[in-house]
Amino acid sequence: MTKPRAIALNRRTILAAAGAATAALAAPRILLAQAKELVVGGAASHKNFVETIIAPVVEKKYGCKIVYEGTRSLVNLEKMQKNKDKQYLSVVQMDDPVMIPAVAEGLLEAITPGKVPNIAALKPGTIHMDGMWVNYLQPWLGIAYNPKAMKTAPTSWADAYDPKYKGRVILPSLQNTEGLANLFMAAFLATGKPMPEAQKDIDAAFKKLVTIKPNLLTAYTQMPQAYNLLEQGEGFMISSAISQVALERKQAGAPVDIAVPKEGIFAMPSGVALVKGGPQPELAAAYINEMIGPEVQAKLSSVTFSLPTNKDTPVPAGMPTNATMFGVDWKFVADNRPDWVKRWDRDMAM
Amino acid sequence: MKLRAPSAWRDPVALLALPAVVYLLVVYAYPLLWLLMKSFSGPAGLTLQPYVAFMSDPFNWRVIGNTLRVAAWVTVVCFLIGYPAAFALARAGTVMQIVMLVSIILPLSIGAVVKAFAWQIVLRRDGIVTQIMMGLGLWDEPQRLLFTETGLVLGAANIFLPFMILPIYSVVKLIDPRLSEAGATRGATPLYCFTHVTLPLTLPGVVSGIAFVFSLSVSMFVIPSLLIGDRFQTLSTLTGRSFLLMRNEQLGSTTAVILLALAVAIVVGSTWLAGRLGGKT
Repeated sequence: MTKPRAIALNRRTILAAAGAATAALAAPRILLAQAKELVVGGAASHKNFVETIIAPVVEKKYGCKIVYEGTRSLVNLEKMQKNKDKQYLSVVQMDDPVMIPAVAEGLLEAITPGKVPNIAALKPGTIHMDGMWVNYLQPWLGIAYNPKAMKTAPTSWADAYDPKYKGRVILPSLQNTEGLANLFMAAFLATGKPMPEAQKDIDAAFKKLVTIKPNLLTAYTQMPQAYNLLEQGEGFMISSAISQVALERKQAGAPVDIAVPKEGIFAMPSGVALVKGGPQPELAAAYINEMIGPEVQAKLSSVTFSLPTNKDTPVPAGMPTNATMFGVDWKFVADNRPDWVKRWDRDMAM
Repeated sequence: MKLRAPSAWRDPVALLALPAVVYLLVVYAYPLLWLLMKSFSGPAGLTLQPYVAFMSDPFNWRVIGNTLRVAAWVTVVCFLIGYPAAFALARAGTVMQIVMLVSIILPLSIGAVVKAFAWQIVLRRDGIVTQIMMGLGLWDEPQRLLFTETGLVLGAANIFLPFMILPIYSVVKLIDPRLSEAGATRGATPLYCFTHVTLPLTLPGVVSGIAFVFSLSVSMFVIPSLLIGDRFQTLSTLTGRSFLLMRNEQLGSTTAVILLALAVAIVVGSTWLAGRLGGKT
C-alpha cells in the first residue's frame, strides 16, 4: 500500500506543479486586465462562436472582458478539481456526461431563476439535476448520407440495417458520444417500447445492433475519416451523425446531407454551468443569462446548425421543426458506459 | 610510464551520456515505473489481480493475438521488400543512391495520419488496387480492402519500411563485394555464397530492422484506428482507450505492461536467436 501511495503523491505533486506553471503563464494576462474579467472554460471548437457571438454581447452590456479557455471537457473538469479551493474559472461549457462527475464532486453551483431569469424560457428537458447545468444549444443527431450515392434520402433509422447497403454503412464507435444513439435506437426498433423505457434495455439493443454487421464499412473513432469515406462514396451513410458537422460539410459544397428519420432525432450534449466559488459570480450568471437569451440563441443556433434551447427563439431555416427529440439519460450512460463499450468490443468485432 | 585505460566510471567521456540519462530517467523511467506500480496495485496493496482478470477473459487473448499477428505480418512484409531494397541501395551509384535515400527518408516526414488517408484512397473499392486486380482478371468484382487486416498490414508496412531498409543498408554497404567473388572462385554457387557469406554478415542489420519494425508495429495506435477502425482491438488501442475514454488507469497500465513485456521478449528473443544462428556459421 505504502509504495503505490508514494507514487500517487509524487504524481499529484507534479500535477500541482504543472498547474502552478500554467497559472504562472496565464498570470500576465490577468494582471494586465483593468476591467472586470470573466474566465470561461470550454471546448476548443467553441472558441469561435464564443468570441464572435456571445462575448461581444456580454462585454458590451456589462463592460467586462471575457477570456475563453478552449480545451477538452475532461481537462476543464481537471482544472476545477485542481483549483477547488481557489477557482479561477467562473463558467464552464462542457458535455453533459462530464457535468455529472462535476456535480458529484461539488464543483458546480445551481443555476436559479433568481440569478439567471432566462432559465424560465428554456425548453423542457434542457435543465438538468435541479439546475446544476443547462443546455444552451441542441445539436442533433440524424443520418448523414451522400446524395450522389443514395438517390433517395434515408427515412428511418432501420434503413441502416437494409441488406442493400451491404458494406456501405458507417457507424460511430460507442466510445464516441454520437455512437450512443445507435444503441438506444436499436433498442427502440427491437422492443417497440417508448424511448425513455427502450434506452434502458441495452441487452435488446445489442442483439439488434449485431445484425447490422454485414452492412458495416467501419466503426470510426476519428470523425473526419468518416466524412472522408462518405464524401468519396465508399460509404453511403453515417448512421448517427452530428447536425453541425454534416451541415457544415454540406455548406462547404461536399456531397453530404443529413436526414431526419421518422422515428425522431437525438439531442447532443451542450451544457453550461456556474463554477462553485468562481470569481465574479454575478457576471458569470449574466453570461449564462445572455447565452440562453433570445438574441444570442438566434445567432448561435444558425451558426452551429443546432436547435435553440430557448423556446421563444425561432428555429433557423433548414432545421427540423417538428421532429421528435429524444433526450439521453446521461447519468445512466455515465454509470454503464464502460460495460457497454466492453460488450461493443466483443459483439461488434470483425 | 604505462598508459592505463580509465575505468568506465571515471572516464570523463561517460559524462557525455548525462543529458540522455537524465532525460530518459524523467520522461521514460519514471512514467514506466508509475505504470508498473499502477498495474500491480490493488485496494489492499500489491496484487496480481488485474493480470489474472485480464488473462482470464478469452476476448483479451484475441486482442493479444491480433496485436502479435499484425505486427508479425508487417515485419515479414517489410523484410521481404526491405532486404533486397537495402542491397539495391548499397550497391547503387552515388546519384542513384542519393535519390533512393531521399525517397526512403522523405516520406518519414509525412505523418502517419496523412499516409493512412492516402491508403484509404488506394484501397477503396474504386481505388487503384481494385482496378489492377480487375484489369488482370484476378477479381471478378471489387473487393473491400479497406478496414481489413490485409489493408492494415499493407498500410503499416508502407509506413515502417524505412526502419527495415536503413539498418540493413548500413550493414550491407560495409560488406566487401569481393567476398562473394572470392567464394565463387572457390566454386561456391551464388545461393551458397548468399546463405554462407552474405546473409550471416547482414544478420546484425536484419536483427535491428526486425526489432525496429516489430516494436513499432506491435505498439502502433493511430494507424490501426484509421486503417481498420474500432472493430479490431489491439493491446495499444485498448490501452489508449482505457486511459483516454474509460479513465481506467489500472486496465490501461495492465495492458501497457503486457504489451511492453511481449515486445521486449520478442525483440530480445529474436536478437539472441540471431546471435546464435550467426555464431554457428
